Amino acid sequence: MTHESELITGRCPPVAAVYNARNPEMLCSSSRVRWAWCLLILFSQVAIASDWRRTEAQLAEKIAAITGPGVVALVVTNRSSISPSEAEGIRRGLSASLSDSGVRVFEPDQAAATVRVTLSESLQNYVWVAEIQQGTNDAIVAIVATPRPDSAINPQSSPPLTLHATQLVAQPEPILDVAILEGTPRRMLALGENAVTVYEFKDGHWFPGQPIAINHDRPLPRDVRGRIILRKDHLFDAYLPGMICRSTNASPLGLNCSRSDDPWPLQTEDFGVSAFFASARNFFTGALVPGIGQQKSAPAFYSAAALPRAKYALWIFAGIDGQLHLLDGINHQVEAKIHWGSDLAGVHAPCRQDWQVLAISAGSGTDDSVQAFEFADREPAAVSQSLQLNGNITALWTARGDDSATAVFRNSETGNYEAMQLTLACGQ
Amino acid sequence: MPSLAESRPHYGGTLRLAVKEAPETLDPVAAGVPASLSRLVFETLVALDDRGRPQPLLATSWQSDPGSQRWRFFLRAGVSFHDGAPLDSATVAASLRNSNPEWKVIDAGDMVMIETESATPDLPVDLALTRNSIVRRSDSAVKLSGTGPFAIAQGDAGKHATLTANEQYWAGRPFLDSVQIDFAKNDHEQMLSLDLGKADVIEVAPENIHRARAENRIVITSEPEELIALVFAHDPRSEDEIHARAALAMSIDTAAVNNVVLQGGGEPTGALLPNWISGYAFVFNAAGSNAAGSPAAANPAAGTPAFGNMNHARQERMQSKHLPVWTLGYDPSDTIVRIIAERVLLNARDSGITLNLSSTANSDLHLVRIRLTSSDQHVALAELAKTLQLPPPRIGDGSTADLYSAEKVLLQSHRAIPLLHMRRAVALRPTVHELRMLPDGSWSLSNVWLSGEKQ
Repeated sequence: MTHESELITGRCPPVAAVYNARNPEMLCSSSRVRWAWCLLILFSQVAIASDWRRTEAQLAEKIAAITGPGVVALVVTNRSSISPSEAEGIRRGLSASLSDSGVRVFEPDQAAATVRVTLSESLQNYVWVAEIQQGTNDAIVAIVATPRPDSAINPQSSPPLTLHATQLVAQPEPILDVAILEGTPRRMLALGENAVTVYEFKDGHWFPGQPIAINHDRPLPRDVRGRIILRKDHLFDAYLPGMICRSTNASPLGLNCSRSDDPWPLQTEDFGVSAFFASARNFFTGALVPGIGQQKSAPAFYSAAALPRAKYALWIFAGIDGQLHLLDGINHQVEAKIHWGSDLAGVHAPCRQDWQVLAISAGSGTDDSVQAFEFADREPAAVSQSLQLNGNITALWTARGDDSATAVFRNSETGNYEAMQLTLACGQ
Repeated sequence: MPSLAESRPHYGGTLRLAVKEAPETLDPVAAGVPASLSRLVFETLVALDDRGRPQPLLATSWQSDPGSQRWRFFLRAGVSFHDGAPLDSATVAASLRNSNPEWKVIDAGDMVMIETESATPDLPVDLALTRNSIVRRSDSAVKLSGTGPFAIAQGDAGKHATLTANEQYWAGRPFLDSVQIDFAKNDHEQMLSLDLGKADVIEVAPENIHRARAENRIVITSEPEELIALVFAHDPRSEDEIHARAALAMSIDTAAVNNVVLQGGGEPTGALLPNWISGYAFVFNAAGSNAAGSPAAANPAAGTPAFGNMNHARQERMQSKHLPVWTLGYDPSDTIVRIIAERVLLNARDSGITLNLSSTANSDLHLVRIRLTSSDQHVALAELAKTLQLPPPRIGDGSTADLYSAEKVLLQSHRAIPLLHMRRAVALRPTVHELRMLPDGSWSLSNVWLSGEKQ
């Protein structure tokens, strides 16, 4: 029986590899991120250059088969997304490959034939076309094609001074939340729509283990959201719309999932406030358990951040009505002038007395940025630089310990979901 | 100015569309049904991704025997039609038999098996064509039910349709509550609807893309995909006729047609497939006449259009001893086709070829516009050949070089003269988010959401 990954090998890329396999890009600390990107770029360019050599040789062989040994003029035109410097390298490589095939490249007035090579591309391939003109005969066309990579590697901008982003994992499938288990070795839980994957940190990289499947007995809503909460009596609970999965204590790790409308913890467990999530939507209904002081509900909201004060906590809700709602247990204040996105997370930088809220920029069609604010006198004041991302945030949750947040954004160029840890550092 | 907390998609709201087409039905098997609309209701076993590669939809995986004549498609579990019936292999097989009577389709448990008389390595890609959507037909085949993100709630054939969100959609309920479609709206009516806030999304004709952008409307365009071509009713009957057809091809100034008539809304071409699909179309642009076997215009520099070259056209025409007088048919209700037909007539006259315009079906050649049905290069070429009534292309081992050879053979039949590939476009209100236009010109609404709407 043919496996599904084999069936398209004749002319299409293997399908199973596209929609089944994970493609984790494992990166660790922020300083290493840059090195990792550099190495990745270096390796990718070496790999591409190697591919070019093979394609150059293939095209040179085809050209030589048409012209035979002799002298030709070579004109290379680039109408693809290949960079001009790469195109120049390809021209040189092609000349060398032609020489290996007995075809020497000279000026047109000394050449018996003119070879016009156009570097083109289609949806799936780089397509190189050689039009070989010998005398007044019709041009003869030779074509070679090599697959285009799914996406070019695009390094993130440098980490800012105070708001640090540490890359954790990147993959084509959505990541809903990530939780790091400190210890030896360090482990990380990544919640997806259909599985929880346990990663292990070794030699500076996160290595994925076998995913633990989450079976759904009804469709998930669009813009699926989910949260992992680390527990004391068992490893973790995973919250998904209309469902809770509790990790088993046995080894190997398993999940017991069941339909549930139990409220999801807001911020971290330490705050003791939970909220009901609409099981067929992407927001919280607004009903709070047990509530904030005398307030048992908030307007329906996408996310919430708690900023503890001396005698109370100020809760900020990003409402589905597009407004920020500030609740302190007694008062409900609506902020209509603050243009933030729908995801907020409360964090506490160790060197500051006040807590901070991480907020993303609003807008559509453009990449998001994250920035930390403090709410002195209920007016937000930026306390960090704006960290520009290469895509739109899809998840932002406070991490256990409240000193960091996990964020997931969808890279607008690669299409991958990238999870990262956001921390606020002082004095940098 | 964006309002706050708007970056996460909103559920709810009604998306209002105004389109030019006036289909009597959304049945994907029927001719003339807009694929973008049909796909809201009906789904295929396989979908193509942005690169034209097959991906699972109603089938989760598939296998073929080594000869690619027998395929097995394993069905997604837990999918229901809008009428509540579960997706099963019997319904899928019946649907595929209806759209492909020449296939032997066998239902077997959680899969369907398809057997074809010849090797079909492209079958998964074929199954992504809209006409292969899975349709459940009941009540004497009048009532149609699909599995897509929206269900037909109300329809007034050719005038109006209302679709409502499929709450049980297997890939997640769509953000929108409903979609209202107004059919048969001309370009002016559509633009007016958008400006008056009566429509959220409208189609923009290629010739209006430039203006719509200049007037600061939000416009999304496809790659150049819709082929405008002259198609002869029969093969050439003599060498003279071959020269005459080549002369006609060279005489047409497609760059001027694109710049003046289409306002840059397309791209001149000498190829059937656009370059973004094949990667080699520019070869035919430079040597379109070469493909037609003409020595007169051989060897232009790569990428330099050989069209509108009156000297070459006259040289070619001189080689034809008996110049025919042809009737050029076109659809008079299509304004842009009529204007292009008039241009073709003038260009031909300048090169000494006589054309008479005709709106009847009995013409020597026709000016046609043909939309791309697939972003897969092999299936796209095969479908174009079928529509142009050309012989099926023989693509050999499936390489790009083989595809080029197959397309060259089609062009060397002298039956079709490709002129332009036109872009498709939609304009939308700023409240519409995540509307994607695929390279082949179809648009996807399944992830669209509206801001400023109450849930």
